Amino acid sequence: MTMSHLIGAGIALAVAAFAQRASAQVFGSTAHTVTVQVAPITVIGVDLAALTLQISSGTPGQETMTVTDATSKLLWGTNSSNQKITANTDNAAPLFDLRLVAVNPTGGSVTSEFSLSTTPHDLLLNVGQSLGSCTLQYRGVALASQAPGSDTHVITFTVQSQ
Amino acid sequence: MRHILFTGILLALALAALPVRGAAQPLVTGGNLVLQITAALLGQEPAMATNSQCTLEWQKEHVVTKVTVSTTCPGQRFTLRVLATNISRRGGIEGIAAPEVTLQDGMPAMDFITDVPPPGSLNTSATLQYTASATFSQGNSTELGNDLHTVTYTVVAQ
Repeated sequence: MTMSHLIGAGIALAVAAFAQRASAQVFGSTAHTVTVQVAPITVIGVDLAALTLQISSGTPGQETMTVTDATSKLLWGTNSSNQKITANTDNAAPLFDLRLVAVNPTGGSVTSEFSLSTTPHDLLLNVGQSLGSCTLQYRGVALASQAPGSDTHVITFTVQSQ
Repeated sequence: MRHILFTGILLALALAALPVRGAAQPLVTGGNLVLQITAALLGQEPAMATNSQCTLEWQKEHVVTKVTVSTTCPGQRFTLRVLATNISRRGGIEGIAAPEVTLQDGMPAMDFITDVPPPGSLNTSATLQYTASATFSQGNSTELGNDLHTVTYTVVAQ
């Protein structure tokens, strides 16, 4: 082996080692902490500000007269677990019966139709940690024997722990 | 003659075995961050939280380099992404921002800034733009705890 061969071999070794290092070379690193904090968030609302149910005629031979409206939607979002939605009215002494039921909810469990009162009543159960909506189906009920009149309700929907 | 070969072998071993020393460690300025998600609009998922207060500074090297990013976040629940913006330009392109990286616990290092050209001894920097998001179905920190990420930036030869 000549001197030039030895020199070449030495250089080749050094170059190969350098190339191997360069391909995986780490020059340095640094780190910091990033915290993601999500607050309990709940939003709820109705897409229609107001609606009117009008009973203008009855059926011969029937005491009960009804009208139904399913034009409004309830929308909600909550990232808390074990939540339900209740509904109540501010009208403590309505002349006529106003009933409500949730229809076609995207989540949660529907309760049966109920008469609105000032006491909150369960509308939907098990809506925790969800973004959802349902149709609000109102039914106004009057008796043929009742005098004409009107009721105004301010209906409040609330997301709360169940 | 033999000492020439021996010297070459020693040099090779030294290059392979010695710890690599960059000219300077990269540095994140701006401290540790807290991104808070606190509100939502009706019918929408909670609003994202963004923060661009931190800057990554590092020294260029004698070869083309890139910056990678990774995170550890045991029990991660929410989404965190990071994007390099405002990469410094002192007389030329100082690097190319990779698409926004989604940070997942235990992820392999992902390209963050690529094609950082030599020469060394010049400092360069980029703004770290973090975006945190969460869906209602992912819950909240009061019930589940915060996500605590240790985000690591590494300068490597490209």
